[in-house]
Amino acid sequence: MDFHTLLLVTVGAILVNNVVLSRILGICPFLGVSKKIETALGMSGAVVFVMTLASFVTALFNRFLIATKFKVNGQEIDLSFTRILLFIVVIAALVQIVEIIMKKFTPSLYVALGIYLPLITTNCAVLGAAEMNADEGRSILASTLFGFSTGAGFGLALLLFASLRERLAASRTPKAMEGPAIALVTAGILALAFMGFSGLVK
Amino acid sequence: MSLTNFKIWHFRGGVHPYDGKELSNQVPAQYAPLLEKYYVVLRQNIGKPPKLIVEKGQHVAKGQKIAEADGFVSAPLHAPTSGTVGDVADIPGANGPNVPAIEIIADGKDEWDTGLEPIKDWRQADITDLRHRIAEAGIVGMGGAAFPCHIKLTPPIEKIIDTLILNGAECEPYLTADHRLMLERTKAVLEGAAIAAKILNVERILLGIEDNKPDAIEALNKLADQYGVTVVPLPVRYPQGGEKQLIYALTGRCVMTGGLPMDVGCVVQNVGSCAAIYDAVAEGHPLIERYTTITGTPVVNPSTWIVRIGTPVREALGFAGGTKSHAAKLIMGGPMMGFAQMTLDVTVTKNTSGILLLSAKETGAYTSDPCIRCGRCVDNCPMHLQPGSISVMVESEHFHEAEHLNVMDCMECGVCAYVCPAKRPLVQHFRRAKSEIIAERQAAKAKAAMKHS
Amino acid sequence: MLTVLISTIVLAIVGLALGLLIGFAAKKFDVEVDPRVESVQELLPGANCGGCGYAGCADFASAIIHQNADPSNCNSVSSEALKKIGLIAGHEITVRERKVAVVFCSGSYSHTSHHEEYNGIMDCRSASLVGDGDKECHYGCLGYGSCARVCKSGAIEIRDRLAFVHPELCIGCGRCTQVCPRKLIRLVPITAKVHIYCSSLNKPLKKRASCMNPCLACKKCARTDSSAVVIQPNLLQINYSNPPAPDFPERVKCPTGVLATAEQHLKLELLPANCTCGKETKKK
Repeated sequence: MDFHTLLLVTVGAILVNNVVLSRILGICPFLGVSKKIETALGMSGAVVFVMTLASFVTALFNRFLIATKFKVNGQEIDLSFTRILLFIVVIAALVQIVEIIMKKFTPSLYVALGIYLPLITTNCAVLGAAEMNADEGRSILASTLFGFSTGAGFGLALLLFASLRERLAASRTPKAMEGPAIALVTAGILALAFMGFSGLVK
Repeated sequence: MSLTNFKIWHFRGGVHPYDGKELSNQVPAQYAPLLEKYYVVLRQNIGKPPKLIVEKGQHVAKGQKIAEADGFVSAPLHAPTSGTVGDVADIPGANGPNVPAIEIIADGKDEWDTGLEPIKDWRQADITDLRHRIAEAGIVGMGGAAFPCHIKLTPPIEKIIDTLILNGAECEPYLTADHRLMLERTKAVLEGAAIAAKILNVERILLGIEDNKPDAIEALNKLADQYGVTVVPLPVRYPQGGEKQLIYALTGRCVMTGGLPMDVGCVVQNVGSCAAIYDAVAEGHPLIERYTTITGTPVVNPSTWIVRIGTPVREALGFAGGTKSHAAKLIMGGPMMGFAQMTLDVTVTKNTSGILLLSAKETGAYTSDPCIRCGRCVDNCPMHLQPGSISVMVESEHFHEAEHLNVMDCMECGVCAYVCPAKRPLVQHFRRAKSEIIAERQAAKAKAAMKHS
Repeated sequence: MLTVLISTIVLAIVGLALGLLIGFAAKKFDVEVDPRVESVQELLPGANCGGCGYAGCADFASAIIHQNADPSNCNSVSSEALKKIGLIAGHEITVRERKVAVVFCSGSYSHTSHHEEYNGIMDCRSASLVGDGDKECHYGCLGYGSCARVCKSGAIEIRDRLAFVHPELCIGCGRCTQVCPRKLIRLVPITAKVHIYCSSLNKPLKKRASCMNPCLACKKCARTDSSAVVIQPNLLQINYSNPPAPDFPERVKCPTGVLATAEQHLKLELLPANCTCGKETKKK
């Protein structure tokens, strides 16, 4: 695994195949926690943390449990069909633990994230990162890095969007377009803008 | 003094509105006739309003103190003429809400009794005495802010003041009060400045004046050397007479956010205040009258008058012959920073530099449109602010964001509203934001004080 | 068959291990939450109106438990819930009456005299900063609707530049009382049905000149029932500790109609414009 590949993984995950704006994963927290930059920052931090950890742990599971072909009574057992099930269980448990620790040590962040922290439990972005790792057959190091970069990409999109929405809140919007409507239109335009990165990594 | 080497800095932004000064700048100032009743507004200074010391029915002489300063940041009031004290009643204030005012019913004799001895040889006098005299005479900043004068002349010991700046720019369109004052009372202005310089112990006295008043500049230059004053003609540009802009234009020093002129070693006095200082010290007369321009196209004889404090605007307009055509708007002060009035019952106060009438053609009601973000206000703001963004924040009641955008630095010069193609009422938004932020700060202060005790 | 068995076993083991891990973490990093806060929060209305002065109901609930805040500061909580909160919090609670907002002014635009036109920002607080509005009475309602804009329950209606409160919609959160620059809106007990809709402290003659339905302080109501009103200089007010019955206006027959029930007040524009009670309005 050379440096070049790792760099491509990072840049690709943050800009080119941004998890929110290009893969359209993790829309719920993207719309839910983007009203204020402060909470968006907290959420981005949580996502980066959870994604990195989840990618690492699921990569371990993938490598040593699922992808291993072992023989029982001469019959080869392939566990790859249980991958999604296993990943969900692992990620859910992880988020629970993160939540418990967060409640203990950073109660203010816990209060700020409110109901969105449990949402990461079943968040498609986190599961998506793990699945993509398994599909691409990445090594554990590359998987972890991919998880981190995807989280960072999510954070970037979320922060950009939160800044936009803070400005939106202060500007005059037609009555019918107020709130989520104009937010979704903005998200669409932001996604269009991110398409500009598509030629960056070949 | 030679001006060949004097460097003038140019502040950023600003505008060149039609100045309308030709209406009244060639008419000599006249003393306003004595009226039957005066209504002296109690709060005429920034800070605490003074405490009333006379009772209803009591006889007062012209110049007698009727209210005394309540604390340091306060200025006393004096009777504009001799007569009887009437009711204290609420009258419409020039800044909006009703304000309490004391009625003085003239007896027609107009007799002086101030209780203040003239200090003829002020050069030998004690500085404390001079300061005390200025405080007793109730002198406030006569350019508009009405900040008590004696406080400006009592800088904290740690501030080193090296320059006294006289503000004779009179950049507000239409107003010619300071112009006539500098032309007609040149000696009083310069001598008052010399007294202020003695109190502050400064050598350098600079008088900034816009170069559209050549006759006043000539008159000042004749006497300036005698009092150690340097007269600096400045290019015509609004708001050249803004305190921070004037300091920058004359010295190149910048007053930082939240700072005061004394932080950069300067004290700025309006020329009207200087003349009032001269009157108080050398003549023993308190501040009871001032130069006020009564002008505008609907006015029959636009001219400058020496009007007593407490004169109702209705009467003051009569001095200038009344109106010849329909006046759509009455403004106390100049058209840029003045306050539009709802009624003619407002009175002249210590900071009324002008009474301006505008015709319907010149003003006109218009509707404001959303900000189109053209950035003209940003280009022209002399305080380097972003008026457009701030107004959007205020409109949606995001006062914290407005505070982050330094709305508190806004001096309400009105340049942004003047250039705005969408005709947005920007200054009113800023005033609202400032009042909300001040209220919030006070509430936070009170809360902190409660917690402390 | 074997694949199914093995995969089930693997999943079961993984699940068990993770479950144990979570259990261990929950024990190890346990945070004590006062259960009383939660139960108090459930009893609060949950509207997060901020009328109590705290940032939402959750904040208020924790203040009730930890800082001894008075639960009756919440104007929308029912008296039964208030009692329950008292039991939970363990301190005495005086059950306070529900309150509603009342705009103490009858000076609609067509019933008052006014100055020159105001064409600045249509907001009471902005208007009060410049020129102080265009109505001549400086105590009256400015009518630019700042109160209606902050009202979350839509109880305030602006008609002919005068604010009316619909008492059946008002939840008594008091936000409107905070934004009114003239402090015209006050919270009064919901049991009081009759109000004197005037706040002007001007002398009766001056009031007459600027408004068609002011309180002229004729004291007719005080003569009808002296315990029902409080006499102030130039202005009478309902005695809210002993509010009169809804038929009080009928008995008094207030000459300017300013003493009225909310229903009568809402029909204010039905008063004839050339009503003899106030003098004709003077217009410039």
